[in-house]
Amino acid sequence: MISPQTALHDPVFRAYLVIVPVSLALGGTILGFLDWGLKKKLRSIWKTYRSWLVMASIGLLVVFAGRVPVIVGVTFLSIFGFKEFARSSGLYCDWWTTGAVYAGIVAVGFASLVPRPRGEEPGAGWYGFFMAMPLFAIALILLIPILRNRARGELQKMSLSIIGFIYIGWMFGHLGFLANAANAYGFLCYVIFATELNDVCAFTFGRLFGRHPLRSEISPNKTWEGALGAFAVSMVLPWLLRFSFPFFGATQLILTGLIVGIGGPLGDLSISLIKRDIGTKDMGAAIPGHGGILDRIDSLIYVAPLFMHMAGYYYRLR
Amino acid sequence: MNTWHYDSACDVDQPLVDRLRRFPREPDVLVYGARALIALIIRGWLRIYHRFEIIGHENLRTNRSLVIVANHSSHLDTLCLLAALPLRKLHRAFPAAAADYFFRSVPRTFVAAVVTNALPFARRVRVRRSLSMCSDLLSDPENILIIFPEGTRSKTGETREFKSGIGALVAGRDVTVVPCYLQGAFRAWPKGRHLPCPKKVRLIVGAPRNYSSRNANKIDICAIAAELHRAVKELGQRSGSD
Repeated sequence: MISPQTALHDPVFRAYLVIVPVSLALGGTILGFLDWGLKKKLRSIWKTYRSWLVMASIGLLVVFAGRVPVIVGVTFLSIFGFKEFARSSGLYCDWWTTGAVYAGIVAVGFASLVPRPRGEEPGAGWYGFFMAMPLFAIALILLIPILRNRARGELQKMSLSIIGFIYIGWMFGHLGFLANAANAYGFLCYVIFATELNDVCAFTFGRLFGRHPLRSEISPNKTWEGALGAFAVSMVLPWLLRFSFPFFGATQLILTGLIVGIGGPLGDLSISLIKRDIGTKDMGAAIPGHGGILDRIDSLIYVAPLFMHMAGYYYRLR
Repeated sequence: MNTWHYDSACDVDQPLVDRLRRFPREPDVLVYGARALIALIIRGWLRIYHRFEIIGHENLRTNRSLVIVANHSSHLDTLCLLAALPLRKLHRAFPAAAADYFFRSVPRTFVAAVVTNALPFARRVRVRRSLSMCSDLLSDPENILIIFPEGTRSKTGETREFKSGIGALVAGRDVTVVPCYLQGAFRAWPKGRHLPCPKKVRLIVGAPRNYSSRNANKIDICAIAAELHRAVKELGQRSGSD
Protein backbone atom coordinates (compact mmCIF):
# COMPACT_ATOMS: atom_id res chain seq x y z
CA MET A 1 0.00 0.00 0.00
CA ILE A 2 1.55 3.32 -1.01
CA SER A 3 1.66 6.13 1.53
CA PRO A 4 3.89 9.11 2.42
CA GLN A 5 5.73 6.94 4.98
CA THR A 6 6.75 4.34 2.41
CA ALA A 7 7.31 6.73 -0.51
CA LEU A 8 10.78 7.95 0.43
CA HIS A 9 11.98 4.45 1.35
CA ASP A 10 10.82 3.02 -1.95
CA PRO A 11 13.69 2.77 -4.49
CA VAL A 12 11.31 3.02 -7.48
CA PHE A 13 9.66 6.24 -6.32
CA ARG A 14 13.05 7.69 -5.36
CA ALA A 15 14.33 6.89 -8.85
CA TYR A 16 11.40 8.70 -10.48
CA LEU A 17 11.98 11.61 -8.12
CA VAL A 18 15.29 11.97 -9.98
CA ILE A 19 14.26 10.86 -13.50
CA VAL A 20 11.34 13.28 -13.88
CA PRO A 21 13.22 16.48 -12.91
CA VAL A 22 16.26 15.37 -14.95
CA SER A 23 14.18 14.81 -18.08
CA LEU A 24 12.43 18.14 -17.57
CA ALA A 25 15.78 19.88 -17.13
CA LEU A 26 17.09 18.13 -20.23
CA GLY A 27 14.06 19.26 -22.22
CA GLY A 28 14.49 22.79 -20.90
CA THR A 29 18.17 22.83 -21.87
CA ILE A 30 17.38 21.70 -25.42
CA LEU A 31 14.63 24.32 -25.70
CA GLY A 32 16.97 26.97 -24.32
CA PHE A 33 19.64 25.98 -26.83
CA LEU A 34 17.14 26.22 -29.70
CA ASP A 35 15.80 29.56 -28.45
CA TRP A 36 19.03 31.45 -27.68
CA GLY A 37 21.56 29.47 -29.67
CA LEU A 38 19.65 29.11 -32.91
CA LYS A 39 17.27 32.07 -32.45
CA LYS A 40 14.16 30.08 -33.25
CA LYS A 41 10.76 31.47 -32.36
CA LEU A 42 9.55 29.39 -29.43
CA ARG A 43 7.23 31.66 -27.45
CA SER A 44 4.31 29.28 -27.19
CA ILE A 45 6.54 26.33 -26.36
CA TRP A 46 7.90 28.05 -23.24
CA LYS A 47 4.34 28.41 -21.96
CA THR A 48 3.79 24.71 -22.62
CA TYR A 49 7.06 23.89 -20.86
CA ARG A 50 6.14 25.93 -17.78
CA SER A 51 2.88 24.02 -17.55
CA TRP A 52 4.83 20.74 -17.77
CA LEU A 53 6.90 21.84 -14.76
CA VAL A 54 3.77 22.59 -12.75
CA MET A 55 2.02 19.36 -13.76
CA ALA A 56 5.06 17.18 -13.04
CA SER A 57 5.44 18.68 -9.55
CA ILE A 58 1.75 18.20 -8.78
CA GLY A 59 1.87 14.64 -10.14
CA LEU A 60 4.89 13.64 -8.06
CA LEU A 61 3.40 15.26 -4.98
CA VAL A 62 0.11 13.39 -5.38
CA VAL A 63 1.85 10.02 -5.91
CA PHE A 64 4.03 10.78 -2.87
CA ALA A 65 0.90 11.57 -0.82
CA GLY A 66 -0.33 8.00 -1.23
CA ARG A 67 -3.17 5.81 -2.45
CA VAL A 68 -6.17 7.91 -1.43
CA PRO A 69 -4.84 11.19 -2.92
CA VAL A 70 -4.02 9.38 -6.20
CA ILE A 71 -7.54 7.95 -6.51
CA VAL A 72 -9.16 11.23 -5.47
CA GLY A 73 -6.91 13.13 -7.89
CA VAL A 74 -7.76 10.81 -10.79
CA THR A 75 -11.46 11.18 -9.94
CA PHE A 76 -11.15 14.97 -10.00
CA LEU A 77 -9.33 14.85 -13.34
CA SER A 78 -12.14 12.64 -14.70
CA ILE A 79 -14.80 15.02 -13.40
CA PHE A 80 -13.20 18.12 -14.88
CA GLY A 81 -12.27 16.26 -18.06
CA PHE A 82 -15.86 15.17 -18.51
CA LYS A 83 -17.00 18.71 -17.76
CA GLU A 84 -14.89 19.93 -20.68
CA PHE A 85 -16.40 17.24 -22.89
CA ALA A 86 -19.92 18.18 -21.78
CA ARG A 87 -19.29 21.88 -22.39
CA SER A 88 -17.95 21.30 -25.90
CA SER A 89 -20.61 18.80 -26.94
CA GLY A 90 -23.54 20.83 -25.63
CA LEU A 91 -24.45 18.19 -23.07
CA TYR A 92 -23.76 20.65 -20.24
CA CYS A 93 -27.19 22.26 -20.59
CA ASP A 94 -28.86 19.08 -19.34
CA TRP A 95 -28.35 19.05 -15.57
CA TRP A 96 -29.78 15.58 -15.11
CA THR A 97 -27.64 13.65 -17.58
CA THR A 98 -24.42 15.44 -16.65
CA GLY A 99 -25.30 14.93 -12.99
CA ALA A 100 -25.74 11.19 -13.64
CA VAL A 101 -22.31 10.96 -15.29
CA TYR A 102 -20.69 12.85 -12.41
CA ALA A 103 -22.34 10.39 -10.02
CA GLY A 104 -20.95 7.51 -12.11
CA ILE A 105 -17.44 8.99 -12.02
CA VAL A 106 -17.63 9.38 -8.25
CA ALA A 107 -18.78 5.73 -8.05
CA VAL A 108 -15.72 4.68 -10.08
CA GLY A 109 -13.52 6.50 -7.55
CA PHE A 110 -15.45 4.87 -4.71
CA ALA A 111 -14.95 1.39 -6.21
CA SER A 112 -11.19 1.97 -6.39
CA LEU A 113 -11.09 3.31 -2.85
CA VAL A 114 -13.05 0.84 -0.72
CA PRO A 115 -11.49 -2.37 0.64
CA ARG A 116 -12.33 -5.64 -1.10
CA PRO A 117 -15.61 -7.15 0.05
CA ARG A 118 -15.64 -10.30 2.17
CA GLY A 119 -15.35 -13.54 0.22
CA GLU A 120 -12.53 -12.27 -1.92
CA GLU A 121 -8.94 -12.15 -0.79
CA PRO A 122 -8.15 -9.12 1.40
CA GLY A 123 -6.76 -5.97 -0.22
CA ALA A 124 -7.78 -2.54 -1.45
CA GLY A 125 -10.16 -1.75 -4.29
CA TRP A 126 -13.42 -3.48 -5.14
CA TYR A 127 -12.37 -4.97 -8.49
CA GLY A 128 -15.66 -6.65 -9.37
CA PHE A 129 -17.72 -3.50 -8.85
CA PHE A 130 -15.12 -1.41 -10.64
CA MET A 131 -15.35 -3.65 -13.70
CA ALA A 132 -19.16 -3.63 -13.59
CA MET A 133 -19.33 0.19 -13.41
CA PRO A 134 -20.34 0.73 -17.07
CA LEU A 135 -23.35 -1.49 -16.47
CA PHE A 136 -24.62 0.57 -13.56
CA ALA A 137 -23.71 3.94 -15.07
CA ILE A 138 -25.39 3.18 -18.40
CA ALA A 139 -28.45 1.87 -16.57
CA LEU A 140 -28.62 5.14 -14.63
CA ILE A 141 -28.18 7.24 -17.78
CA LEU A 142 -30.93 5.31 -19.59
CA LEU A 143 -33.21 5.72 -16.61
CA ILE A 144 -33.14 9.51 -16.68
CA PRO A 145 -35.28 10.20 -19.77
CA ILE A 146 -37.72 7.53 -18.57
CA LEU A 147 -38.09 9.16 -15.16
CA ARG A 148 -38.39 12.63 -16.70
CA ASN A 149 -40.80 11.41 -19.39
CA ARG A 150 -38.82 12.99 -22.23
CA ALA A 151 -38.01 11.55 -25.66
CA ARG A 152 -37.10 14.37 -28.03
CA GLY A 153 -33.32 14.60 -28.54
CA GLU A 154 -32.68 12.19 -25.67
CA LEU A 155 -30.82 9.62 -27.77
CA GLN A 156 -28.11 12.15 -28.56
CA LYS A 157 -27.75 13.10 -24.90
CA MET A 158 -27.67 9.46 -23.78
CA SER A 159 -25.07 8.55 -26.39
CA LEU A 160 -22.87 11.51 -25.55
CA SER A 161 -23.05 10.85 -21.84
CA ILE A 162 -22.32 7.13 -22.26
CA ILE A 163 -19.26 7.88 -24.43
CA GLY A 164 -18.19 10.53 -21.94
CA PHE A 165 -18.55 8.18 -19.00
CA ILE A 166 -16.81 5.19 -20.62
CA TYR A 167 -13.89 7.15 -22.05
CA ILE A 168 -13.24 9.76 -19.43
CA GLY A 169 -14.78 8.35 -16.29
CA TRP A 170 -14.14 4.64 -16.49
CA MET A 171 -11.25 3.95 -18.89
CA PHE A 172 -9.20 6.83 -17.53
CA GLY A 173 -10.35 5.82 -14.02
CA HIS A 174 -8.24 2.65 -14.32
CA LEU A 175 -5.26 4.85 -13.55
CA GLY A 176 -6.68 5.37 -10.06
CA PHE A 177 -7.24 1.64 -9.61
CA LEU A 178 -3.55 1.02 -10.39
CA ALA A 179 -2.78 2.74 -7.07
CA ASN A 180 -4.08 -0.41 -5.34
CA ALA A 181 -1.39 -2.61 -6.90
CA ALA A 182 1.45 -3.94 -4.72
CA ASN A 183 3.89 -2.37 -7.17
CA ALA A 184 1.84 0.85 -7.40
CA TYR A 185 4.85 3.20 -7.55
CA GLY A 186 6.38 1.40 -10.51
CA PHE A 187 3.11 1.01 -12.40
CA LEU A 188 1.78 4.53 -11.83
CA CYS A 189 5.06 6.35 -12.41
CA TYR A 190 5.94 4.28 -15.46
CA VAL A 191 2.53 4.50 -17.12
CA ILE A 192 2.25 8.26 -16.67
CA PHE A 193 5.88 9.02 -17.49
CA ALA A 194 6.05 6.75 -20.56
CA THR A 195 2.72 7.95 -21.98
CA GLU A 196 3.54 11.63 -21.61
CA LEU A 197 7.03 11.02 -23.00
CA ASN A 198 5.41 9.28 -25.96
CA ASP A 199 3.27 12.40 -26.51
CA VAL A 200 6.26 14.71 -26.38
CA CYS A 201 8.28 12.45 -28.71
CA ALA A 202 5.43 12.27 -31.23
CA PHE A 203 5.27 16.07 -31.21
CA THR A 204 9.04 16.50 -31.50
CA PHE A 205 9.59 13.89 -34.23
CA GLY A 206 6.57 15.25 -36.06
CA ARG A 207 8.00 18.76 -35.96
CA LEU A 208 11.42 17.58 -37.10
CA PHE A 209 10.65 15.00 -39.79
CA GLY A 210 6.85 15.14 -40.25
CA ARG A 211 5.75 14.69 -43.87
CA HIS A 212 2.87 12.24 -44.09
CA PRO A 213 -0.31 12.95 -42.12
CA LEU A 214 -1.26 10.10 -39.80
CA ARG A 215 -5.04 10.59 -40.00
CA SER A 216 -5.66 13.64 -42.16
CA GLU A 217 -9.40 13.77 -41.49
CA ILE A 218 -9.02 13.58 -37.71
CA SER A 219 -5.94 15.48 -36.66
CA PRO A 220 -4.00 17.44 -39.29
CA ASN A 221 -0.96 17.97 -37.06
CA LYS A 222 -0.09 14.35 -36.34
CA THR A 223 2.25 12.59 -38.73
CA TRP A 224 3.39 9.03 -39.38
CA GLU A 225 6.96 10.10 -38.75
CA GLY A 226 6.08 11.48 -35.32
CA ALA A 227 4.01 8.42 -34.36
CA LEU A 228 6.68 5.93 -35.50
CA GLY A 229 9.47 7.86 -33.77
CA ALA A 230 7.47 7.91 -30.55
CA PHE A 231 6.68 4.20 -31.00
CA ALA A 232 10.37 3.37 -31.25
CA VAL A 233 11.07 5.31 -28.02
CA SER A 234 8.18 3.58 -26.26
CA MET A 235 9.47 0.13 -27.28
CA VAL A 236 12.94 0.86 -25.83
CA LEU A 237 11.77 2.60 -22.68
CA PRO A 238 10.54 -0.51 -20.73
CA TRP A 239 14.09 -1.91 -20.92
CA LEU A 240 15.64 1.37 -19.80
CA LEU A 241 13.24 1.71 -16.87
CA ARG A 242 13.13 -1.98 -16.07
CA PHE A 243 13.60 -1.28 -12.36
CA SER A 244 9.95 -0.04 -12.30
CA PHE A 245 8.77 -3.67 -12.62
CA PRO A 246 11.75 -5.96 -11.92
CA PHE A 247 9.53 -9.07 -12.14
CA PHE A 248 8.54 -8.41 -15.80
CA GLY A 249 9.93 -10.82 -18.39
CA ALA A 250 10.67 -10.03 -22.05
CA THR A 251 7.06 -10.72 -23.16
CA GLN A 252 5.65 -8.32 -20.60
CA LEU A 253 8.21 -5.65 -21.48
CA ILE A 254 7.34 -5.91 -25.18
CA LEU A 255 3.63 -5.79 -24.36
CA THR A 256 4.20 -2.70 -22.18
CA GLY A 257 6.01 -1.02 -25.07
CA LEU A 258 3.21 -1.91 -27.50
CA ILE A 259 0.49 -0.70 -25.12
CA VAL A 260 2.13 2.68 -24.59
CA GLY A 261 3.34 3.07 -28.17
CA ILE A 262 -0.02 2.23 -29.78
CA GLY A 263 -2.48 3.01 -26.98
CA GLY A 264 -1.09 6.51 -26.44
CA PRO A 265 -1.70 7.82 -29.96
CA LEU A 266 -5.04 5.96 -30.10
CA GLY A 267 -6.29 7.78 -27.01
CA ASP A 268 -5.02 11.04 -28.45
CA LEU A 269 -6.77 10.41 -31.77
CA SER A 270 -10.03 9.35 -30.14
CA ILE A 271 -10.32 12.71 -28.38
CA SER A 272 -9.15 14.53 -31.53
CA LEU A 273 -11.94 12.77 -33.40
CA ILE A 274 -14.51 14.06 -30.92
CA LYS A 275 -13.06 17.56 -31.13
CA ARG A 276 -13.02 17.43 -34.91
CA ASP A 277 -16.68 16.45 -35.18
CA ILE A 278 -17.74 19.07 -32.65
CA GLY A 279 -15.59 21.66 -34.37
CA THR A 280 -13.51 22.99 -31.48
CA LYS A 281 -9.77 23.32 -31.40
CA ASP A 282 -9.19 22.64 -27.72
CA MET A 283 -11.48 21.10 -25.14
CA GLY A 284 -10.84 23.92 -22.70
CA ALA A 285 -8.28 26.38 -21.42
CA ALA A 286 -7.41 24.94 -18.03
CA ILE A 287 -3.70 24.33 -18.74
CA PRO A 288 -1.85 27.23 -20.40
CA GLY A 289 -0.09 26.05 -23.57
CA HIS A 290 -1.82 22.66 -23.60
CA GLY A 291 -5.52 23.41 -23.91
CA GLY A 292 -7.94 21.64 -21.66
CA ILE A 293 -7.42 18.89 -19.09
CA LEU A 294 -8.81 16.43 -21.60
CA ASP A 295 -6.18 17.42 -24.17
CA ARG A 296 -3.52 16.34 -21.68
CA ILE A 297 -4.98 13.14 -20.23
CA ASP A 298 -6.32 11.79 -23.54
CA SER A 299 -3.34 9.48 -24.23
CA LEU A 300 -3.87 7.69 -20.92
CA ILE A 301 -7.43 6.69 -21.85
CA TYR A 302 -6.31 3.49 -23.59
CA VAL A 303 -2.97 2.97 -21.88
CA ALA A 304 -4.26 2.82 -18.29
CA PRO A 305 -6.83 -0.01 -18.73
CA LEU A 306 -4.71 -2.02 -21.18
CA PHE A 307 -1.67 -1.87 -18.94
CA MET A 308 -3.67 -2.74 -15.85
CA HIS A 309 -5.19 -5.83 -17.45
CA MET A 310 -1.90 -6.93 -18.96
CA ALA A 311 -0.20 -6.71 -15.56
CA GLY A 312 -3.20 -8.33 -13.89
CA TYR A 313 -3.12 -11.25 -16.34
CA TYR A 314 0.49 -12.21 -15.66
CA TYR A 315 0.81 -11.20 -12.02
CA ARG A 316 -1.51 -10.61 -9.14
CA LEU A 317 -2.11 -6.89 -8.92
CA ARG A 318 -1.81 -6.96 -5.14
CA MET B 1 -29.12 10.28 -41.79
CA ASN B 2 -28.67 13.81 -40.55
CA THR B 3 -25.54 14.56 -38.58
CA TRP B 4 -25.89 15.73 -35.01
CA HIS B 5 -25.73 19.35 -34.12
CA TYR B 6 -23.58 20.27 -31.13
CA ASP B 7 -24.32 23.40 -29.12
CA SER B 8 -20.91 24.05 -27.57
CA ALA B 9 -20.66 26.48 -24.70
CA CYS B 10 -19.66 29.89 -26.06
CA ASP B 11 -16.77 30.21 -23.58
CA VAL B 12 -15.05 26.85 -24.17
CA ASP B 13 -11.70 28.49 -24.90
CA GLN B 14 -11.63 30.63 -21.76
CA PRO B 15 -10.05 29.76 -18.39
CA LEU B 16 -12.34 29.31 -15.39
CA VAL B 17 -11.87 32.76 -13.85
CA ASP B 18 -12.73 34.51 -17.12
CA ARG B 19 -15.79 32.31 -17.46
CA LEU B 20 -16.95 33.34 -13.98
CA ARG B 21 -16.40 37.01 -14.81
CA ARG B 22 -18.56 37.05 -17.92
CA PHE B 23 -22.31 37.44 -17.89
CA PRO B 24 -24.62 35.71 -18.53
CA ARG B 25 -22.67 32.68 -17.35
CA GLU B 26 -23.10 29.27 -18.95
CA PRO B 27 -24.93 26.71 -16.78
CA ASP B 28 -22.64 24.43 -14.76
CA VAL B 29 -23.98 21.57 -12.63
CA LEU B 30 -20.88 21.56 -10.41
CA VAL B 31 -21.27 25.26 -9.62
CA TYR B 32 -25.00 24.77 -8.95
CA GLY B 33 -24.25 21.92 -6.58
CA ALA B 34 -21.58 23.89 -4.72
CA ARG B 35 -23.88 26.91 -4.52
CA ALA B 36 -26.81 24.92 -3.13
CA LEU B 37 -24.57 23.30 -0.52
CA ILE B 38 -23.03 26.61 0.56
CA ALA B 39 -26.50 28.21 0.65
CA LEU B 40 -27.68 25.55 3.10
CA ILE B 41 -24.69 26.23 5.35
CA ILE B 42 -25.22 30.00 5.16
CA ARG B 43 -28.91 29.62 6.00
CA GLY B 44 -28.12 27.59 9.08
CA TRP B 45 -25.41 30.01 10.13
CA LEU B 46 -27.69 33.07 9.71
CA ARG B 47 -30.43 31.33 11.69
CA ILE B 48 -28.15 30.40 14.58
CA TYR B 49 -25.46 33.08 14.69
CA HIS B 50 -27.58 36.09 13.69
CA ARG B 51 -31.01 34.80 14.82
CA PHE B 52 -32.16 35.75 11.31
CA GLU B 53 -35.86 36.54 11.06
CA ILE B 54 -38.05 37.41 8.06
CA ILE B 55 -41.17 39.56 8.34
CA GLY B 56 -43.60 39.66 5.41
CA HIS B 57 -42.19 36.54 3.76
CA GLU B 58 -45.42 36.01 1.78
CA ASN B 59 -44.60 39.09 -0.33
CA LEU B 60 -41.77 37.15 -1.99
CA ARG B 61 -43.95 34.20 -3.04
CA THR B 62 -44.46 34.72 -6.74
CA ASN B 63 -43.45 32.82 -9.85
CA ARG B 64 -43.03 35.92 -12.00
CA SER B 65 -39.80 37.83 -12.48
CA LEU B 66 -38.97 40.00 -9.54
CA VAL B 67 -36.80 42.96 -8.64
CA ILE B 68 -35.83 43.07 -4.98
CA VAL B 69 -34.75 46.53 -3.79
CA ALA B 70 -33.10 46.96 -0.40
CA ASN B 71 -30.93 49.20 1.72
CA HIS B 72 -27.25 48.31 1.76
CA SER B 73 -24.98 48.58 4.77
CA SER B 74 -23.24 45.21 5.01
CA HIS B 75 -22.09 42.13 3.11
CA LEU B 76 -24.75 40.26 5.06
CA ASP B 77 -27.47 42.01 3.05
CA THR B 78 -27.03 39.89 -0.06
CA LEU B 79 -26.73 36.67 1.94
CA CYS B 80 -29.92 37.47 3.89
CA LEU B 81 -31.93 38.27 0.78
CA LEU B 82 -30.75 35.07 -0.91
CA ALA B 83 -31.62 33.13 2.24
CA ALA B 84 -35.17 34.46 2.01
CA LEU B 85 -35.70 32.80 -1.39
CA PRO B 86 -36.59 29.14 -1.84
CA LEU B 87 -33.61 26.91 -2.71
CA ARG B 88 -34.95 25.98 -6.15
CA LYS B 89 -34.84 29.66 -7.16
CA LEU B 90 -31.26 30.12 -6.00
CA HIS B 91 -29.79 29.81 -9.50
CA ARG B 92 -32.32 32.24 -10.95
CA ALA B 93 -31.54 34.99 -8.40
CA PHE B 94 -28.89 37.50 -9.44
CA PRO B 95 -27.64 40.15 -7.00
CA ALA B 96 -26.11 43.07 -8.88
CA ALA B 97 -22.57 43.37 -7.48
CA ALA B 98 -19.96 46.07 -8.10
CA ALA B 99 -17.72 44.82 -10.92
CA ASP B 100 -14.84 46.98 -9.66
CA TYR B 101 -14.98 45.39 -6.19
CA PHE B 102 -16.23 41.83 -6.53
CA PHE B 103 -14.90 40.88 -9.96
CA ARG B 104 -11.36 42.22 -9.58
CA SER B 105 -9.42 39.66 -7.56
CA VAL B 106 -9.71 35.93 -8.17
CA PRO B 107 -10.99 34.87 -4.70
CA ARG B 108 -13.68 37.57 -4.69
CA THR B 109 -14.74 36.57 -8.20
CA PHE B 110 -15.16 32.99 -7.00
CA VAL B 111 -17.23 34.02 -3.98
CA ALA B 112 -19.37 36.45 -5.97
CA ALA B 113 -20.01 34.16 -8.94
CA VAL B 114 -20.26 30.78 -7.22
CA VAL B 115 -21.80 31.59 -3.83
CA THR B 116 -24.10 34.49 -4.73
CA ASN B 117 -24.49 34.12 -8.52
CA ALA B 118 -23.72 37.84 -8.82
CA LEU B 119 -24.24 39.96 -11.90
CA PRO B 120 -21.12 42.12 -12.48
CA PHE B 121 -22.42 45.70 -12.46
CA ALA B 122 -20.04 48.39 -13.70
CA ARG B 123 -20.97 51.39 -11.57
CA ARG B 124 -18.50 53.98 -12.89
CA VAL B 125 -18.16 53.38 -16.63
CA ARG B 126 -20.77 52.03 -19.02
CA VAL B 127 -23.54 52.00 -16.44
CA ARG B 128 -26.06 51.92 -19.27
CA ARG B 129 -24.67 48.63 -20.51
CA SER B 130 -24.95 47.09 -17.06
CA LEU B 131 -28.53 48.32 -16.83
CA SER B 132 -29.38 46.74 -20.16
CA MET B 133 -27.84 43.49 -18.87
CA CYS B 134 -30.24 43.66 -15.90
CA SER B 135 -33.07 44.47 -18.24
CA ASP B 136 -32.31 41.43 -20.45
CA LEU B 137 -32.32 39.29 -17.35
CA LEU B 138 -35.81 40.44 -16.41
CA SER B 139 -37.23 39.59 -19.82
CA ASP B 140 -36.99 35.94 -18.80
CA PRO B 141 -39.85 35.17 -16.38
CA GLU B 142 -38.88 33.62 -13.04
CA ASN B 143 -35.58 35.49 -12.86
CA ILE B 144 -34.96 37.46 -9.70
CA LEU B 145 -32.78 40.55 -9.63
CA ILE B 146 -31.47 41.88 -6.33
CA ILE B 147 -30.45 45.53 -6.41
CA PHE B 148 -29.06 47.90 -3.83
CA PRO B 149 -29.86 51.26 -5.44
CA GLU B 150 -27.69 53.21 -2.98
CA GLY B 151 -24.79 52.02 -5.11
CA THR B 152 -22.52 51.08 -2.21
CA ARG B 153 -22.58 50.03 1.43
CA SER B 154 -23.60 52.84 3.75
CA LYS B 155 -20.87 53.87 6.21
CA THR B 156 -23.30 54.99 8.91
CA GLY B 157 -26.13 52.49 8.61
CA GLU B 158 -28.39 55.30 7.32
CA THR B 159 -30.22 54.58 4.05
CA ARG B 160 -28.84 57.01 1.47
CA GLU B 161 -30.50 58.40 -1.67
CA PHE B 162 -31.32 55.84 -4.37
CA LYS B 163 -29.67 56.17 -7.79
CA SER B 164 -32.09 56.82 -10.63
CA GLY B 165 -30.98 53.69 -12.54
CA ILE B 166 -33.46 51.59 -10.59
CA GLY B 167 -36.23 53.82 -11.94
CA ALA B 168 -35.01 53.38 -15.50
CA LEU B 169 -35.01 49.64 -15.05
CA VAL B 170 -38.58 49.23 -13.82
CA ALA B 171 -40.43 52.16 -15.44
CA GLY B 172 -42.95 51.01 -18.04
CA ARG B 173 -42.09 47.37 -17.51
CA ASP B 174 -44.46 44.73 -16.21
CA VAL B 175 -42.26 43.45 -13.41
CA THR B 176 -42.91 43.13 -9.69
CA VAL B 177 -40.76 45.32 -7.47
CA VAL B 178 -40.43 44.36 -3.82
CA PRO B 179 -38.90 46.89 -1.41
CA CYS B 180 -37.08 45.32 1.53
CA TYR B 181 -35.41 46.64 4.65
CA LEU B 182 -32.53 44.92 6.40
CA GLN B 183 -32.33 45.70 10.07
CA GLY B 184 -29.31 44.99 12.22
CA ALA B 185 -27.01 43.98 9.40
CA PHE B 186 -25.01 47.17 9.84
CA ARG B 187 -24.35 46.47 13.51
CA ALA B 188 -23.57 42.81 12.82
CA TRP B 189 -21.05 43.43 10.02
CA PRO B 190 -20.36 47.08 9.13
CA LYS B 191 -18.11 48.18 6.28
CA GLY B 192 -14.45 47.82 7.26
CA ARG B 193 -14.89 44.97 9.77
CA HIS B 194 -13.29 41.68 8.86
CA LEU B 195 -15.72 39.27 10.47
CA PRO B 196 -19.37 39.55 11.52
CA CYS B 197 -20.33 39.59 15.18
CA PRO B 198 -23.33 37.71 16.59
CA LYS B 199 -26.03 40.38 16.45
CA LYS B 200 -29.64 39.89 15.42
CA VAL B 201 -30.53 40.53 11.78
CA ARG B 202 -34.08 41.03 10.56
CA LEU B 203 -35.42 41.26 7.01
CA ILE B 204 -38.66 43.15 6.48
CA VAL B 205 -40.30 42.51 3.11
CA GLY B 206 -42.67 45.21 1.88
CA ALA B 207 -45.73 44.99 -0.35
CA PRO B 208 -44.98 44.34 -4.04
CA ARG B 209 -45.33 47.22 -6.50
CA ASN B 210 -45.61 47.60 -10.24
CA TYR B 211 -44.50 50.56 -12.37
CA SER B 212 -45.74 49.37 -15.76
CA SER B 213 -47.98 52.42 -16.18
CA ARG B 214 -45.11 54.90 -15.77
CA ASN B 215 -43.13 56.42 -18.62
CA ALA B 216 -39.40 56.04 -18.97
CA ASN B 217 -38.73 59.79 -18.96
CA LYS B 218 -36.33 61.48 -16.61
CA ILE B 219 -38.92 62.93 -14.22
CA ASP B 220 -40.74 59.64 -13.73
CA ILE B 221 -37.50 57.71 -13.33
CA CYS B 222 -36.33 59.98 -10.53
CA ALA B 223 -39.79 59.89 -8.96
CA ILE B 224 -39.77 56.07 -8.93
CA ALA B 225 -36.33 56.01 -7.32
CA ALA B 226 -37.54 58.47 -4.67
CA GLU B 227 -40.74 56.47 -4.08
CA LEU B 228 -38.81 53.26 -3.59
CA HIS B 229 -36.39 55.03 -1.26
CA ARG B 230 -39.31 56.24 0.82
CA ALA B 231 -40.89 52.79 0.83
CA VAL B 232 -37.68 51.14 2.07
CA LYS B 233 -37.17 53.79 4.77
CA GLU B 234 -40.76 53.45 5.95
CA LEU B 235 -40.34 49.71 6.33
CA GLY B 236 -37.38 50.41 8.60
CA GLN B 237 -39.19 53.05 10.67
CA ARG B 238 -42.38 51.03 11.05
CA SER B 239 -40.62 48.18 12.74
CA GLY B 240 -38.70 50.33 15.20
CA SER B 241 -35.47 52.18 14.75
CA ASP B 242 -32.28 50.30 13.96
